[in-house]
Amino acid sequence: MSNPWLHLALRFGLGGFFLYASLDKIAAPSAFARIVYQWQVVGPVPANLVAVILPWVEALAGVLLIAGLWKHEAAAVIAMLLVVFIVAAGSVMARGIDVENCGCVSTAKAEEPSWFKGVGWFLIARNLALLGAAVVLIRAGARSIPPPASSERTE
Amino acid sequence: MGVLRVVRLAAIVAGGALLGLAWNAWSGRGFVLGQSVFVQAGDEVIEPSEAKARLDRGALFLDARPRDFWTMSRIPGALSLPEEEFDRSFAELEPKLRGTFNIVVYCSGYGCEASHIVANKLREKGIHAAILSEGWPAWTDAGYPVTGQK
Repeated sequence: MSNPWLHLALRFGLGGFFLYASLDKIAAPSAFARIVYQWQVVGPVPANLVAVILPWVEALAGVLLIAGLWKHEAAAVIAMLLVVFIVAAGSVMARGIDVENCGCVSTAKAEEPSWFKGVGWFLIARNLALLGAAVVLIRAGARSIPPPASSERTE
Repeated sequence: MGVLRVVRLAAIVAGGALLGLAWNAWSGRGFVLGQSVFVQAGDEVIEPSEAKARLDRGALFLDARPRDFWTMSRIPGALSLPEEEFDRSFAELEPKLRGTFNIVVYCSGYGCEASHIVANKLREKGIHAAILSEGWPAWTDAGYPVTGQK
């Protein structure tokens, strides 16, 4: 897991996914707010704030990962988002709420089968895989912290 | 995790928040953050207690959910006016609606836009209808009466 080429691939894959996922939500914030509200995790006004802020955090973290700037911190932000997404999806499923479009990458009404685009086991499995990639990048960053006696920069 | 990393992490989140709020304010694609995104100009949104008071005063309720839901259970006296069948159902109900001045429309609740769409279409036809906030689940959670099959 310390192969630099693997880290590069994970950075571009994870960063690219989150940057792509943010674009449609940035373009249509009110449509995304409707979807956030459908998750029934937060009320209408907090859902609005989530809809306005979340896509930009995703975009910023994605750009930083791709650019290689603050990459470990960007991976940590993405990991935290994924943990929130996984817990929220589990809550939606446990309460039996039917969300046809999770709003993960698009605000358009579901055209694909709901198992692919809705809130369900596929979404949780995909987010767990993305979380695994983020954790690999975070751990690589933790290993790169120089010992106290050293003054060399590693990033 | 060192202090520098925590600061950078917070900066990413704060930067994203600032960009998002700025985009919402100045991009032309933004919306009002302080109210439900479903509320449109001209909407009258009422709480369940007010809706119950209007029911007691003889208000006509319109069920904007799919007709199967209306068949199963509904607010007493509610007529079915599903959003996806609006034109056909409205044609049947129009005489009654035009003779009623106290109308409340409701739908399935969380994330449900049908009541707002129906109220807006009625408004375009010159008929005012209030919207029950949070719709059917808010009504049943309040313990207010329902009729229909169980």
